[in-house]
Amino acid sequence: MTKYIIRRLLGVIPTLLVIITISFFIVRVAPGGPFDGERALPEVVKRNIEAKYHINDPLLVQYGRYMFDVLRGDLGPSYRYKDHDVNFYIFESLPNSMVLGVIAISISVIFGILSGMLAAIHQNSWIDYLSMALAVVGISVPLFVIGPVLQYVFAMKLGWLPTSGWFSTGDGWKTVILPALTLAFADFATIARLTRSSMLETLRSDYIRTAKAKGMKSSSIIFKHAMKGTMLPIVSYLGPAFAGIITGSVVVEQVFRIPGLGKFFVQSSFNRDYTLIVGVVIVYSVILVIMNFLVDIVYSLLDPRITYT
Amino acid sequence: MNLLNKQAEPQATNEFDQVIVGNSLSKDAWRRLKKNKMAVISVFIVIIYVLLAICAPILPIYPYDEIILDHQHLKPSLVKNAGQLLMEKRMADLYTQAWREGRFELSEEKDDMIWAWIDKGEVNKVWDYMYKEGNIRMAEGTFVFNTAEQRRIDTLNTKLKTDLQISVKKVWYTPEGGKRINISKLPLEEIVAIYADMVGTTSEIETEQYGREIEQQLLKTIMRQNPDLTTEEYNLLLDKELSGLSERKRDTLIRENIVAKITSQAKDIALFDLKEAAGNESVNFPLNKEITIKGALSASVKATKMHERRYYLGTDHQGRDLLSRIIYGGQVSIAIGFIGTITSVLIGTILGALAGYLGGKIDYFIMRVVDIMYGLPYMLLVIIAMAIFGRNIINLFFALAIISWLTISRMVRGQIMSLKNQEFIEAARSMGAPTRRIIFRHLIPNSLSVIIVFSTLRIPSFIMTESFLSFLGLGVQAPYASWGSLVGDAVAGMTLYPWKLFFPALAMTIFLFAMNFLGDGLRDAFDPQSKNQL
Repeated sequence: MTKYIIRRLLGVIPTLLVIITISFFIVRVAPGGPFDGERALPEVVKRNIEAKYHINDPLLVQYGRYMFDVLRGDLGPSYRYKDHDVNFYIFESLPNSMVLGVIAISISVIFGILSGMLAAIHQNSWIDYLSMALAVVGISVPLFVIGPVLQYVFAMKLGWLPTSGWFSTGDGWKTVILPALTLAFADFATIARLTRSSMLETLRSDYIRTAKAKGMKSSSIIFKHAMKGTMLPIVSYLGPAFAGIITGSVVVEQVFRIPGLGKFFVQSSFNRDYTLIVGVVIVYSVILVIMNFLVDIVYSLLDPRITYT
Repeated sequence: MNLLNKQAEPQATNEFDQVIVGNSLSKDAWRRLKKNKMAVISVFIVIIYVLLAICAPILPIYPYDEIILDHQHLKPSLVKNAGQLLMEKRMADLYTQAWREGRFELSEEKDDMIWAWIDKGEVNKVWDYMYKEGNIRMAEGTFVFNTAEQRRIDTLNTKLKTDLQISVKKVWYTPEGGKRINISKLPLEEIVAIYADMVGTTSEIETEQYGREIEQQLLKTIMRQNPDLTTEEYNLLLDKELSGLSERKRDTLIRENIVAKITSQAKDIALFDLKEAAGNESVNFPLNKEITIKGALSASVKATKMHERRYYLGTDHQGRDLLSRIIYGGQVSIAIGFIGTITSVLIGTILGALAGYLGGKIDYFIMRVVDIMYGLPYMLLVIIAMAIFGRNIINLFFALAIISWLTISRMVRGQIMSLKNQEFIEAARSMGAPTRRIIFRHLIPNSLSVIIVFSTLRIPSFIMTESFLSFLGLGVQAPYASWGSLVGDAVAGMTLYPWKLFFPALAMTIFLFAMNFLGDGLRDAFDPQSKNQL
């Protein structure tokens, strides 16, 4: 097991290297030369950037230095803002995105598993149809449609929740509900469908029949026996789910005006603030890679049939 | 040659002497698909959408990029035309103003209700209410407009009556006693003379003028092609271009220029005349005929009343017809969905097949690339690419195609690995078939069902990705539209103009639903065992 973890950890390295390399060269090939873009840079920033990247050095030396800096956690100065460097802006907005993402993924996992299980247990009843209809909506309707529609119905027409804003605007926790629901919808749908089909398969298997024959209560059959088998495909879906949450948050933060990393990202891609864009992508990638790693480990712990050597 | 004389193959029969009809996978799948009601409905919906998108240029809809600022944010309406809606808006506005000034009294409850609406920013409710209430009072005679207000109504009325949309297709010249000739077919001197006569100068002045204009035009093209040169360098280039310009080419350039100018002059004159005619209702609109411009000149004119347009789905913030924007937006979205899917499936299939069949180092290399790319937040890389290489449809398309072949290549690889050790491949190999033939004639056709099912499910996700980027403003740029950009534009004003959000979102949702149902149906049809899987 330890061997597997170590091997998996080593596998993470090339992905990160590729990301950093792509980022480095993207900033280099940006049209108009890397540092004299179409908008004139403030003198201070220009000097900072020149000092930082040693533009006159050979490309490989620059690349090595950049790699070293990123590995140390220094993402460089921003093209656009002269007050702080990229790290500052990322640390400022990342917590907001994290809160939103964690809430959204919890909602989608908890409710997805619940409704999928209910649908499987009461197969072909109204619960089944309802939750599968919801799941179809979640899979077919893009979240930038769901978001505005929820906003329109619950905030503007019914007035139950604030349309936009974040904790500081005075509405407190209420501001999180709509964005988190929007963000959770797509993953909720997939998880619910996965749970349902996986649960149906498990319920048909022999060991469940044995448990039933022993006269066990159906609740303990489901929670003690069927649960474990059902969880595997869901855990393996969590990797893509995290990726979906990250890209989704870009839109959701835009729609609900949340001062998170995603909103920053879109803004800086309009401003052509290359260092900031690349910094954000590196942060996102690191999160994603770590999450995928954790998911793999959990999966290997859960599935006793696979032996890792 | 021998085909006609070929003997009929003996038909296979069962023990009751009934003919056994062969059954192929695709036939079987088609039968199963036809049983699936949702899938059949979806097929029809998809066909309708695709037809609408393809036929968009010949449909009787307004151009999607025609900006009419007077028609900003008109409500969707099946029965009223733009003029009526504008008049309603004006009247509602005047009633509301009168209410504010205290000349239009309401009960206290109603006052409170209206103030509540205003506080919530729901101004359109106020207008609707005031319009209804005002019309009742006008009919009763308990409220009349004062002179200033009446004048505003009258001005609007004249405007609605006389605003025209006019286009001049061809300008004709009729010499005395001769047949009319299209002016662009006349010799150059005559065209110049006609234009000089039109604007009241002489041919010489005009000819000289055009010489200069040609120079300027050339200079502009040069400057666009090579920016950042000095003035001298520009002059050098210009001289080179001018000397390289043949007499004929120069003449064509001048001719095109003057014809365009005459046409626009003719348009102005015709517009002036027709406006007067529209005012005293002596001409019927829409009009499509040849009218005399000046002396021997006449023009084929097409004119319609601008405010008689009907917007069944309303208009956007620049007065563009939402219906045609949705249809053209669908064209962009669907095209990107289909073409993108085809490209990514092609790349993925070829790479997957190579990896699966050849195995070894090539397989290892391709699959490591796939693994690493899987770990990337590819959506974000696409956003970066769009930000750096410019936001247009072509870039968007390439960015999407490059990242979306991963899953299909894995699937095809797995499929091929399971096929490649079967007897028919071995037979082909033993007969000396080259690798290329084995892959393209045997392996890929046999994994086609997997590929088809995957592609159908891929199209909606492609459309979603495209719309996602357009929603953020990083995809399709104005004046082009896509479903995503339409929704994105609508979000800001959705309290006041909900139709801008509602219709594009609905159009898109229906299509995505249909594609998803169709994909699910196809998967169930090709692989009935997967029915209860995701």
